[in-house]
Amino acid sequence: MRPRFVLGKVAGALGTLAFVLVFNFFLFRVVTDDPIGKLFRGRNLTPDQIEAKRQQFDLDGSRWEQFWAYITQTLKGNLGDSILSGRPVTTEIGEAIWPTVFLVGTATVLSMLIGVWLGIRAGWKRRSGFDVGSTTFSMVMYSVPDFWIGMLLLALFSIQLDLLPTGGFETAGSTATGLAALWDQFGHMVLPCATLALAYIGEYMIVMRSSMLDTVREDYLQLARAKGLRDVDVRRKHAVPNALLPVVSLGALSFGYILSGAIAVEAIFSWPGIGQATQEAIRGPDFPMLQGLFLVISASLIVANLAVDLAYGVLDPRVTGR
Amino acid sequence: MKRYVATAALAGIMGVTSIAVAGGAGAQDDTVTMTIGLLQDMSSPNVTVGYLVPEFEVWNLQYASLTDKAADDFAPLPGLAESWEESDGGLTYTYTLREGLKWSDGEPLTADDIAYTINRSRDEEWANHFSTVENIEATVLDDRTVQLTSSEPDPKLPTMDVYIVPQHVYEGIDAEAIADYDGMDGVASGQYSLVEWNSGQDWTLERNPNWFGRDNGIDRIVYRVFSNADALVAALQKGEIDAAHGFGAEGAQLLEQEDGIEVVVGLQGGFTELALNGMEGGIGDGHPALQDIDVRHAIYHAIDRQAIFDGVSLGYGSIGTTLSPSADTSWIPDLGDEGFEYDPAKATQLLDEAGYLDTDGDGVREMPDGGQPLRFRYVERSESENADSIRAFVTEYLDAVGIATDVEVMDDTQLYEAQVAGEYDIFVWGWTPYVDPDPMLSYFTCGQVTTDVEAAGYNDANWCSEEYDALYDQQKVELDPTARRAIVADMLRLFNRESTYLVLLQDADLQAYRTDRFEGWLRQPAETGPVIFSNSSPTYANLTVIDGGGDDGGMSTGLLIALIAGGVVVVGAAGFVVMNRSKRTADERE
Amino acid sequence: MSDHALPAGAAAPTFSPKAFARQRRRAAFAEFARAFRRDRLAMLGLVILLAFVLLALAAPLISPRSGLSVVASQDNPRWASPSGDFPLGTDHLRRSGAAQFVWGSRVSIAVGLMATVLTIAIGSLVGIVAGFFGRWTDAVLMRLTDWFLVIPFLPLAIVLAAVLDRSLRNIVLVIAITSWPATARLVRSQVLTVRQRLFVDRSRALGASRAHVIRRHILPNVAPLILANVTLAVPISILTETTLSFLGLGDPNLTSWGKVLEQAQSEGAVLRNAWWYYLPSGIGIVLVVLAFTLVGRAMEEILDPRLRERGR
Repeated sequence: MRPRFVLGKVAGALGTLAFVLVFNFFLFRVVTDDPIGKLFRGRNLTPDQIEAKRQQFDLDGSRWEQFWAYITQTLKGNLGDSILSGRPVTTEIGEAIWPTVFLVGTATVLSMLIGVWLGIRAGWKRRSGFDVGSTTFSMVMYSVPDFWIGMLLLALFSIQLDLLPTGGFETAGSTATGLAALWDQFGHMVLPCATLALAYIGEYMIVMRSSMLDTVREDYLQLARAKGLRDVDVRRKHAVPNALLPVVSLGALSFGYILSGAIAVEAIFSWPGIGQATQEAIRGPDFPMLQGLFLVISASLIVANLAVDLAYGVLDPRVTGR
Repeated sequence: MKRYVATAALAGIMGVTSIAVAGGAGAQDDTVTMTIGLLQDMSSPNVTVGYLVPEFEVWNLQYASLTDKAADDFAPLPGLAESWEESDGGLTYTYTLREGLKWSDGEPLTADDIAYTINRSRDEEWANHFSTVENIEATVLDDRTVQLTSSEPDPKLPTMDVYIVPQHVYEGIDAEAIADYDGMDGVASGQYSLVEWNSGQDWTLERNPNWFGRDNGIDRIVYRVFSNADALVAALQKGEIDAAHGFGAEGAQLLEQEDGIEVVVGLQGGFTELALNGMEGGIGDGHPALQDIDVRHAIYHAIDRQAIFDGVSLGYGSIGTTLSPSADTSWIPDLGDEGFEYDPAKATQLLDEAGYLDTDGDGVREMPDGGQPLRFRYVERSESENADSIRAFVTEYLDAVGIATDVEVMDDTQLYEAQVAGEYDIFVWGWTPYVDPDPMLSYFTCGQVTTDVEAAGYNDANWCSEEYDALYDQQKVELDPTARRAIVADMLRLFNRESTYLVLLQDADLQAYRTDRFEGWLRQPAETGPVIFSNSSPTYANLTVIDGGGDDGGMSTGLLIALIAGGVVVVGAAGFVVMNRSKRTADERE
Repeated sequence: MSDHALPAGAAAPTFSPKAFARQRRRAAFAEFARAFRRDRLAMLGLVILLAFVLLALAAPLISPRSGLSVVASQDNPRWASPSGDFPLGTDHLRRSGAAQFVWGSRVSIAVGLMATVLTIAIGSLVGIVAGFFGRWTDAVLMRLTDWFLVIPFLPLAIVLAAVLDRSLRNIVLVIAITSWPATARLVRSQVLTVRQRLFVDRSRALGASRAHVIRRHILPNVAPLILANVTLAVPISILTETTLSFLGLGDPNLTSWGKVLEQAQSEGAVLRNAWWYYLPSGIGIVLVVLAFTLVGRAMEEILDPRLRERGR
């Protein structure tokens, strides 16, 4: 990779990050009425604690001094304290991240595998019954609010059939350890994971299908088929590897959306992740939490995008040449 | 490339399946755990700063007090003290402690701990102790004897229900630092000690082996915080938890239809009020119309409390009358025809006569001078299950008599701060009183009105009167129960007539427990009270474990088998495909 | 647009360039209509759309507004399953589910349309200005657009909505602020293509003002694309409104489909098996969103020759 390419990408990401920081500060400090009252308060704070907070964030200074204090504190990893719990926002978010990464990550991988498979089938035999069926399914899934799928699955599998737990990360107060605990968590993950996978499949399926359609028309494929190679082999060895690229890009980019991927769905299943934290912060309202969540979610997306860009640079030398 | 994906997926499926098989046969340990679900987290387990219902339950379990309270009627029972004697016309009580008391960490529990807690909490004005110990001096006579002297006649004695804290732990925390203390020392004099707290999720108590009382066979109690009532009710239905608290009327109706679940409608004096800003302290920016008693009365007449009770409380609890000062609801006097019956015509008439007319024809009345419209800010609590339903009713009723509302949602701290700063017009919130009516009555005295935001008072009616204060001082030192009741009744009538509180509902604590794992649930007070989160939580000492009762919930066995079978089929099919493919690849190479 | 350009009452000679342009556009529209009618899915979408728009407009005739009042509903049964009196049952506050469905369609569709119009207006403005003026204007506007594109959409909408007061106007504003960048990019690239074409340069050479060039040459050529974009942006607006309302950020005084789902969740409709409360609103959302998507896709395919060739 050329250093200039790397530097350019890193600089771009840093610029975007800086924009998010500035935007985040002004959104909460300018748009909100009584921003200081809404951001710097909390449960059971002693006057000393409040004073310490005021000094940390230079609240008696001018707006620019406040901005500077905000930037330096953020860089030090201090995002303020949650109003509802009184604990540091970074601690709260740190605890919520892993359940979400676990849940959305699994759902993304699952939906990618299923979506790609559906897309290959549908694209290979255009206008077949399978194509029409799976395209319709994907279009419908694309139009459904994800949390509503969750409500339906919950109603069916948890309430009607009583097969799966209604929510949470694990059975409360369970003393199970090791494999039994894992099995318990797996049970709790089935429904939210299925909900997200259903919601995501459509996108992968549609992209894979149209990529297949493009590939199928390529001359070399026509040639391969004309040479009498078996249909299955042509598809597997020539069509699929070529058609897979756009989906790989989409998949890579989707990992940037992991943290924000399940905001409403987590609320349905009481999944103790970023989504539930967001929902509780909205209900509060807990502005320091919202501010921190927004920053962390945006930053994770920017970093993921940067990683994907750099990875492309490694994999495909033509990209860096541009 | 694709091959690798398939192989990885295969490995994943096999992994999950083997976990499933192993997990299904997983070992169980024999710790007996009781799990209680609720919707509210603790604010802090530190006794000097916490103020929410959940931490009171923890303290009831972790800290024994000098005297305990009877489950039936709150009568004083031996606690840490096995006996007591009155002298000096009720001004002095001498308590004798049980023999061999120990803290959960093995340190001896002596009269020093008692005197230390009472005297320090009085000197430092600890919020949850102060109204009880305000006039009391504790003196150690010997290791097992402590003498309390009250400077005023005190109708609350001999009950002394303050949480006794371990001197050997609290000595190290000075007055400056105590508000910041996390309260997680877990040193208990009571039945259980707090060992873990995951904020927003759960907290765990473990049995204190040194407790003086009966062993109930339950090793751990876990309280799990649910984010919504649905999930809480469902968890109880499925046996994921053993008891649930505070799921609302909706949940109670559902659970009443279930076999094996007992619903408890617990009354302990809690109520929900609609508070108007009376502007007593002179700070803040309340709407001027609310200082007019006619406007307040018009608002009271415009609201149909019966409809709110039927529509929101669904018959649990009762319609609000006036301030309920005690967990014993017999303290509320009969108001006769002084209650505010639903009468929108009268409300309209009151507003018309007082000159609040809609002069610009926009459907909203204006002040008599034709200026500011009667548009009130209405704070809806985000931390209440039924706040939005109550708001739907109230705003519609006000709209019908020409009063507009702007709804703003706040969490409890934000509302508390708005209320202290006088920056509100209307809010709906509630109180749960203690057993003795004194603390509740004290909140509405002039001394509790906030006149300076730094020194916040409790008076969230933001109204007070000299007449009320004089009556308050009388009842505080009246030792004759009948005479004291009469004075309190006068205070409540006055409060009802003049103040800025319309008590909408007399709330019930709605709870439920499964009947298959534990028995011996006690209501406090008898027949009408709640079984958990009651005044002194006597249930826990009375429970016994039912042998072989209940299962752990979680995933059903049927599904487990189905998933394992499915996994096996998938693995088999995938293996078949892979084998075929490699065979074919080999063929092609030839 | 072309009517406007013609002086009132002036008889247009058949061979004047203006009339010729108008005729050409009419023919293009006829061709568009023919192509659209051939697309059965698009026609299905159009029918569904018209049905829901009709429902929204006729709400007061179908279901009286008092059906939404908790006070007027207090004698109804609670959580009643569907019956003659209550075709879609009742909810926890005894209000008619049908009334909420009908009136909810109004708010959901209206918010979807209003937000889209605002989104497209902002996006088109930025896109046209950036594409037409180029140079540093383009650079600055596109940098801003990219920044907004990179910020995750839903979290941005959530923090904006949380910071602002909860009202219909603000929801519309929030959706527009979060969704304009995609339109801006699309319109800009189209403007660039159009600008390349000879006739614009010729107009400029003939001394036409910038405003004139934008109005007479750029806009008419970009308009079809903007229109297709509108149709495809409505579903996103509706879904965003639904999610924001579900998270409790909607206008507390209005009933939308998302708000109904929020209440269904917070009041335990799923647990009660009160399917009549959470199914209709969800189905309504899916149908309207699907209908807009079908119509929008068809329009895009017809209007954008590149897509037509690929024949998705």
